[in-house]
Amino acid sequence: MQTVDHTKKGWSVKDVIFLAIIAIFFGIIYQVWSFAYYAIAATPLKPYANDLTLGVWIMAGPLAGVLLKKVGASVVGELLAAAVEMLLFSSWGASTLISGFVQGIGNELGFAATGYKNWGKLGLLLSTIGSTIITFIWDWFQSGYSAYHVGLLLSLFIIRFISIGFFSGILVYWIKKLVDKSGLIK
Amino acid sequence: MNRKRINPAVLVIIMLGIGLQITFAHSVFTNIGVIIITCLYLSYCKTSSKLLILTSLYAFPLALGSWWSFIAFGTGDVWHIAWIYASRVYAYLYLGAIVTLTVPIKDILLSLALHLNLSSTFVYGLLASFNLLGRIKSQYKTIRYSAMMRGTTYHFWNPNLYLRIIIVALNWSQDLAEAMTSQGFTEGAQRTLTYKDNLPKWQWGLAALLILLYFIFSFLVRPW
Repeated sequence: MQTVDHTKKGWSVKDVIFLAIIAIFFGIIYQVWSFAYYAIAATPLKPYANDLTLGVWIMAGPLAGVLLKKVGASVVGELLAAAVEMLLFSSWGASTLISGFVQGIGNELGFAATGYKNWGKLGLLLSTIGSTIITFIWDWFQSGYSAYHVGLLLSLFIIRFISIGFFSGILVYWIKKLVDKSGLIK
Repeated sequence: MNRKRINPAVLVIIMLGIGLQITFAHSVFTNIGVIIITCLYLSYCKTSSKLLILTSLYAFPLALGSWWSFIAFGTGDVWHIAWIYASRVYAYLYLGAIVTLTVPIKDILLSLALHLNLSSTFVYGLLASFNLLGRIKSQYKTIRYSAMMRGTTYHFWNPNLYLRIIIVALNWSQDLAEAMTSQGFTEGAQRTLTYKDNLPKWQWGLAALLILLYFIFSFLVRPW
């Protein structure tokens, strides 16, 4: 009986498991990483902790994008990472899933802007810009950024872009280059 | 043990329906309302109180940080704002907990597949991966130890760490997917259900009612 359709373009169970396994690894990395986050987050500097570390939480989306090169890969990748995090590790509860979706959309918009043709430097640059803006708008409501001083907001925005730019842009680009060199994914 | 519970699919809808609104609401009282109702349900479900206290403590730095940052950097009515965002942390936390702490992961995913048409590819793919949790944890240690034996430490900003992770994920997902298809799993095919999952209609009504009530209180009544 034929049970595998190799011509199918949508999501295969292998893709889902692949992203979910990566998401669980990310969950473990987040756990270690969150100690640093919590140390700063318990002080008035919490917004800085948010924005400084945001790039790491967001990485799973663009990484899924450049690895699978599919429409929707960033959203699904980030949503899976968020679902894994919520089910296994999280202390953010319900907001985990919603934020994951929003972050994924931000990244996805960047890749969509290139017509899903560029998964290299340009695509990643646009994806980091997209997620910086979208997540900032989201935090305007969810984390109450609307109530902060303008000066603080400006510095937060810049810190956020640097964090997302490094982790979800440069680091993902380096990973992609390593993967390409190894010839693992065709 | 066999007390009547709300179906996981309905819980997810309540969680998202109210969770999304919390983001835009500006009221300490409705946050506290959410906290009280969700905690009542959690105690009705006999959720381990030790686990609840632990997660509550774990979220405390977040709530404290939010609260304090508005006192320090906020504009306008900082005390009100500070309490809104501090209580919001806990409203989110317990709203998530009514899903994740009262129902096993497997039941959540199967219920989502059955009642909300989540594709079986995702449901069974996720289930398969969650079963690897223990192995993934030990694999993560193995990756780091083997790097140490070669004299390098993999920090989380080192791309080589992620390359290892991707290699493992590629191999395992290939193996698992093949194992599943060889056991007869067909993507998108009609499935025989071997489990029962009741969802009485009134539970959808309950979800709609709770979401609507939250909307009315948060955006029309708008208590402090």
